[in-house]
Amino acid sequence: MKKYILIIVMLFLIIFLASACDIQDYAADQTKLTIAEQYGLAYAPVQLIKELSLLEKADPSLEVEWKQLSNTTAIREAMLAGEVDIAFMAIPPFLIARDKGMKWKIISGLSESPLGLMTNREYINSLADFKAEDRIALPQPGSIQHILLSMAVERDFAEVNKFDDQLLTMNHPDAMNALLAGREVSAHFASPPYLFLESKEKGIKKILSGKEAFGGEFTFIVGVSTEEFYQQQSKNYKVFLEALTEALNFINQQPQAADILADNYNLTAAEMKEYLNWPGMEFTSKIKGLEEFLAFMTAEGYLKENNYQRSELIFTEELVTEKKETVLEGAEQDGK
Amino acid sequence: MENKYRQRLVWVTVLALFWQLTAWSGLFSDLIFPGLDQIFLALLKSLKDGTLVKQIAFSLSIIIQGLIIAAAAALILALTAYFSKYADGLIDTLTALAHPLPGIALMPLILIWFGSGKTAILIVIIHSVLWPLILNLSTGFNSIPDIYTLIAKNYRLNKLEFMFKILIPASFPYFISGLKIAWARSWRALISAEMLFGAINSLGGLGWYIFQKRVFFDLPGVFAGIIVIIFIGVTVEDFIFKKLETNTVRKWGMLK
Repeated sequence: MKKYILIIVMLFLIIFLASACDIQDYAADQTKLTIAEQYGLAYAPVQLIKELSLLEKADPSLEVEWKQLSNTTAIREAMLAGEVDIAFMAIPPFLIARDKGMKWKIISGLSESPLGLMTNREYINSLADFKAEDRIALPQPGSIQHILLSMAVERDFAEVNKFDDQLLTMNHPDAMNALLAGREVSAHFASPPYLFLESKEKGIKKILSGKEAFGGEFTFIVGVSTEEFYQQQSKNYKVFLEALTEALNFINQQPQAADILADNYNLTAAEMKEYLNWPGMEFTSKIKGLEEFLAFMTAEGYLKENNYQRSELIFTEELVTEKKETVLEGAEQDGK
Repeated sequence: MENKYRQRLVWVTVLALFWQLTAWSGLFSDLIFPGLDQIFLALLKSLKDGTLVKQIAFSLSIIIQGLIIAAAAALILALTAYFSKYADGLIDTLTALAHPLPGIALMPLILIWFGSGKTAILIVIIHSVLWPLILNLSTGFNSIPDIYTLIAKNYRLNKLEFMFKILIPASFPYFISGLKIAWARSWRALISAEMLFGAINSLGGLGWYIFQKRVFFDLPGVFAGIIVIIFIGVTVEDFIFKKLETNTVRKWGMLK
């Protein structure tokens, strides 16, 4: 018995020591900023921050690390582990984690984007035409695409889970390939650039847009950060927010943004320009549709708690909206 | 025997206590490190609403199918290899090529060829089970003492009789240890395949359960899935294989 106790005590000591070291490391690290990036046109302003080294220019002492993670879930987990300070994602995955108790908030909006449910089946012209064996490819349950589909289904058929048994979890490139192959997958809820690529293919049509599903305009991607980062590294937070505002201005006002980003996205400058100016692509810090997502997801049981105040979900909206107005003014002046 | 279980029980209790104390100490946020109470609540909830039971049944049924198909195929291939030199060369080469290849590495190919449904998962399982089974069976066949084969000749047994009366029983310990490896490997292959494929909701198994919990940021749920996997693994190892061993090789006096 003595031996057991000794082992337990030692294990405890090791764990405590290890974690104590870790905590000190994080607190001391004021000069490093880790940002998670993802592939997709909606993240263009973030790529611009990277390409133009806006953060390094604003604060030369800042060490910026860009982390490539494959999906929203992985990013969330990395943030929880303290490996990522700032990330970008759609509103529903943010709300799901917030509801589960993750201490984080929205920094700012990033983009609005056209989304669409694309099908390769001739007989499908609306949601009502789906047969039981038709499979719909989505990034994952709880993603914005899943929530949008649920919203549309709820409105049309008053049963939110109607297609849940027909969903297929696939990332966008795989889903696009499967859609083009035309065998297993009947439909794909796509975001740009996959949406644009698919809409150029023959035999593939859009039967539902994100706006129709949502019933209005909504912010596709928002920037998020942990409360810990906001409190402990407020200087870096401000540097980042200014860089983001600058990038948003740049992409809205400077035509060469397309040239700068083309390489990053492996597209020609002409394609990049076309995609950035596609109807419905908007790069703005304004956050739209938060209340609607919140209400729907609470009503359908995706979220437990309700009546979140906006201030519980967004860091400093005054600053953001203020900035937004100056952005618009600037754009108008340029137009004149 | 008794002693082994008592020891296990002691250590499981110690580990559980250690876990719970760490959770209570507040060292980590309970988003990262949920307490056992939360984990068991999540487990109970999933068991109650029936989804988890269905998913366990789905996973087990795929594994059993995969194991039966793979065991039959391995037996036929190993026997062919034992009786024919040419077949032996071919099967040996195939095993050498395919055995070190993880099923997950074949995933992109399988997705294209077989889609992402049940067949795909079944193929990953068969792939991860077939080769170790063939290896074990062949070793078993080839390590039968010469006296046995000479006895068969003495009795003028034909090939079929030789196979069923001598070859297979004599190599049974190898077959069982091959099955044990196969079970462990198929279990792993299944869970990773299900998590990667993101199987269709209505068909999802345990891997899909964990994936879903992860996506909805439900860590206690993830742990609940892991506990179920451990539980099934231990049960099969301790009861089913033990029973198989006592009823065959132990009874025959081949294993102490």
